[in-house]
Amino acid sequence: MDFFSQKQQFLQDNGVILYFNGPVSQDVVEGVGEAVRSKLRHEAAGVSMMQRVFTILVEQMQNIIRYSTDRLAEDENGAETAWGQIIVGLDEEGGYFVSCGNKINSKDTQKLQKKIEHVQHMEPEELKKYYKEMRRKGPDSDSKGAGLGFIEMARKARAPLSFSIEPLDDTSSFFAMKVKA
Amino acid sequence: MEKYLVAATKSTPKISLNPVTHSHEISGESYPENCSKFYGPVFGWIKEYLAGVNGSKVTFSMDILYFNSSSSKALMELFELLDAAASSGTNIIVDWRYHEENEVALECGEDFMEEVSSVSFNLVSYS
Repeated sequence: MDFFSQKQQFLQDNGVILYFNGPVSQDVVEGVGEAVRSKLRHEAAGVSMMQRVFTILVEQMQNIIRYSTDRLAEDENGAETAWGQIIVGLDEEGGYFVSCGNKINSKDTQKLQKKIEHVQHMEPEELKKYYKEMRRKGPDSDSKGAGLGFIEMARKARAPLSFSIEPLDDTSSFFAMKVKA
Repeated sequence: MEKYLVAATKSTPKISLNPVTHSHEISGESYPENCSKFYGPVFGWIKEYLAGVNGSKVTFSMDILYFNSSSSKALMELFELLDAAASSGTNIIVDWRYHEENEVALECGEDFMEEVSSVSFNLVSYS
């Protein structure tokens, strides 16, 4: 990228608070999380808004670490690093959003899609009930976390979770998700 | 039993478990990369402690500013442990502390409160 296109990008990113594209590890989650918190604190967004944005951000970044298929070798302490993209910004309605993007294995597409669609249009009470049910139950065998991430994000979102899955080549797809806090 | 003490980090809470005073504390943030690695030993300690606690009043003071979904599951496991001990006669009090402006922390406390039946679960706000 030359300086001209870099400047264009900078000017175009109106409303973007943070853009990250690179290797995500737990250290990055903590660093980016802190950066976003201090920005929101500075904008006097309020404790609840800050909590919602932070919650969505952490769930999305930890999903990248767990599920992105673009992976770096684990370090000596077993800490994992995976490639992904994170955008935090303000949308047309003046509210915050958090978006993520990463490569996934194309054969996981259907399962992932089903999982998100299942919670996409649930009412708050339904979400709460489902969250509690899943929290008491063990996660799916293919889940590396508690299996609660999408439900958690849906509970914190002011609009239904939106996502897209686009094939990249024979085996991999690009997964992107935007959540309005 | 020895005390169990762990200092807080950016993504893990302070843990202070005291088998003499029976006053325990978990405070800070909880969003580690690997929850079972962090909470496994804590719960191991608590299980052993509860087995030998014999009629003392047990207090857990919890002030968790933020926790991720895997920590939520871990905390649920903790409350299940405590509730089981309480239902077989141990007097267990949980003070769920939250900043008065932190609605999310209050809601999370309410969610947990609804899940326990024998523990005395209090929502305590501070400013």
